[in-house]
Amino acid sequence: MATKQPFNARLQEFTFVSRSARHQTNMADYKEAPLASRPITLDANEYYNLSPDKRRAEAERAALRANLKRQYLTQLNNPHRKELIEDPALTRWVYARTNPYPHFRPTFKTSLMGILSGIVPLFSLYFIFKLDRRRKERMIQDGTLDRTLGLSS
Amino acid sequence: MLKILIPTLMLIPAIWLSPAKWIWQMTTMNGLLIATASLIWMKKPWDTGWSFLSPYLGTDSLSSPLLVLSCWLLPLMVMASQNHMTSEPIPRQRLYITIMVILHSLLILAFGATELLMFYLMFEATLIPTLFLITRWGNQTERLTAGTYFLFYTLAGSLPLLVALLMLQNDTGTLSMLILPYTQPLTHSNWGSGFWWTACLLAFLVKMPLYGIHLWLPKAHVEAPVAGSMVLAAVLLKLGGYGMMRILVILGPLTKELAYPFMVLALWGLIMTAAICLRQTDLKSLIAYSSVGHMGLVVAGILIQTTWGFSGALTLMIAHGLTSSALFCLANTNYERTHTRTMVLARGLQAALPLMGLWWFIASVANLALPPLPNFVAEVSIIMSLWNWSWWTIFLTGTGTLITAGYSLYMFLMTQRGPIPSHILPLPPSHTREHLLIALHLLPLLLLTLKPSLIWGWC
Repeated sequence: MATKQPFNARLQEFTFVSRSARHQTNMADYKEAPLASRPITLDANEYYNLSPDKRRAEAERAALRANLKRQYLTQLNNPHRKELIEDPALTRWVYARTNPYPHFRPTFKTSLMGILSGIVPLFSLYFIFKLDRRRKERMIQDGTLDRTLGLSS
Repeated sequence: MLKILIPTLMLIPAIWLSPAKWIWQMTTMNGLLIATASLIWMKKPWDTGWSFLSPYLGTDSLSSPLLVLSCWLLPLMVMASQNHMTSEPIPRQRLYITIMVILHSLLILAFGATELLMFYLMFEATLIPTLFLITRWGNQTERLTAGTYFLFYTLAGSLPLLVALLMLQNDTGTLSMLILPYTQPLTHSNWGSGFWWTACLLAFLVKMPLYGIHLWLPKAHVEAPVAGSMVLAAVLLKLGGYGMMRILVILGPLTKELAYPFMVLALWGLIMTAAICLRQTDLKSLIAYSSVGHMGLVVAGILIQTTWGFSGALTLMIAHGLTSSALFCLANTNYERTHTRTMVLARGLQAALPLMGLWWFIASVANLALPPLPNFVAEVSIIMSLWNWSWWTIFLTGTGTLITAGYSLYMFLMTQRGPIPSHILPLPPSHTREHLLIALHLLPLLLLTLKPSLIWGWC
C-alpha cells in the first residue's frame, strides 16, 4: 500500500504535456536518416535566402492559382448554374484517351503488343481449334467418341 | 401480319395530324397498343413451323421473338426521346418520330420476310433512317464520321451478299426461306464456293459485328441520340444474327471447314472488347463495346450450327437487346443531367437517385449474365455447345465471362457508388417517364426468366 500522499502530489504524472514540450522537437532539429531524406518543406533554402526572381515567379504562380480558384468558386457558388463546371484538363484528358490513333507510332514495343494480341492469338487459336476438331471428327467417324448422352448440343 | 403493319404505317399520318402537345403521348400509347397486339405472333407455329403466312411475309419461331422485340421497342424509343426533343420545333419533332416509325416498319418487314431478297432489301433499307437519326440528331461533331463508318461498312459488306443471292436465285430458282432448306446443299469445295460462302455471310458479320470489322459500332452507338442507340443495339445488330441463321441453312457442309477464322475472331473479340471496356472513360462507349462482345458469343453460337448453339444465340439476342437498350436509356438519363458521357463526372448517383440505382443494378447484373436471367441461360447454352465443339474454347469463353463481369461491375460502381463530385450541379430528380421506360425494358427480361422457352426458337 502506497504511503498516503496528498491528492495533487501525483497529479503531475497524469497532466497532459504536449509532445514537443516533452521531447523538444521542432522542424529546425530535423536530422536526415538513411531512409528519410529531408523533405522540401523542411529545407531552409525554401524560406530563406530567396532571390527576387524566385519570389517574383512564386508570386506569379500564386496569382494564377488564385485566379483559377476565383473562377472556380464563382461558378461553384453561382445559384443559377445549371451545368457542370468545365475542367479543361479533364476535357483534354478525355480527348487524349479517346483519340490515340493520330499519335500512334510503330515502335518495337507497340509492334510486339500488336503481334502478341492480334496475330499470335488468332493464328494459334485457329490451329488449336482446327486440330482439335479434326481429331474429334476422326473419332466420330471411327465411332470411338462416346456420345451416348449428347443428343442436341 | 398486316394487322400489325398497317397500324404501324398509319402512325405516320397520325403523327402529322395530331395536335402538337399530344404527339409523344399519342405515339407512345399507340405504339404500346401495337406492341401488345404483336404478342399474337408468339403463339405456337403450325406444323410447318411457319405462321401468319402470306406470299411475302410470315413468322416462325426464329423471327417472332425478334419481331415482338422490335414492336416493343418503338414506344420505348419514343418515350426515351421525349425529353431531349422538347427544344426542337414541332415539325422536326414530328419528323423525328416519323423516321423512327419508318425504321420500325422496315424492321417488321425485314424480320417477317419469307424471301431472302426481300430480307436483303429491308436490311439495306433500315440503314437510311438510322443514318438520318445518327447524323442529324447526334450531339457531337463526330456524328458525321460515325454515320459514314456505319453506312459504308455495312454497305461494303452487303454488296457481295446481293451478288451471292442473285447467283443463288439463278441456281435454285427460288430464294424463299420456306423452300431453301429442301434444295441441294452446296457440295463443291473449290475457291469459288469459298468466296460465295464468305459473300453470303460477310454482310451479317459486319452487322453483328464481328470483332475485326466492328469499328463502326462504337462510333455509331456513341454518336447516335438515345433512340438511335436503342434501336441500333437492340434490333439492328440482331438483323445480322437473324440473317446469319437464315442463310446458314443453304450454306451446306462448307461451314464446317470455313467457319474457323470467324469463330476465332468472334471468341478472341469477346476477350479483347471486354478488356477495352475496362479502360473506357466514356459510358456509352463502354456499353457499345460490351455489345460487340456479346454479339461475338452469338456469332460463335451460330457458326457451330448445333441446336443449343442456335437457341442460345437467339435467346442471347433477345436478352441482350433488352439489356443493352436499358443500359443506353440509363446512360441517357445521366447524359440529360450532366451533358457529358464521361463516367468520372457522374459518380455516386446512388445517393442522389436511389431508384435509378436499382435499375442500374438490375441492368448491370443482366449484362454480366447473372442467373436466372435469360442472359445467363443464353450464354451458358452457347458456352456449353462451344465446349462440345472444342473443349479449348472454354479458356476463351471463361476468361471473357470473367472480364465481362468485371467491366459490368466497374460500370455499376463507377456510376453509382463512390463520392458525388464536389461540383455536381443540382440533379433533377428522376422523371416518372424514365422509371417507366427502364421498368418496361427490365420487366420483360424478368418475366422471360420464368419462361425462356418463348425465345428459344425451334428447340
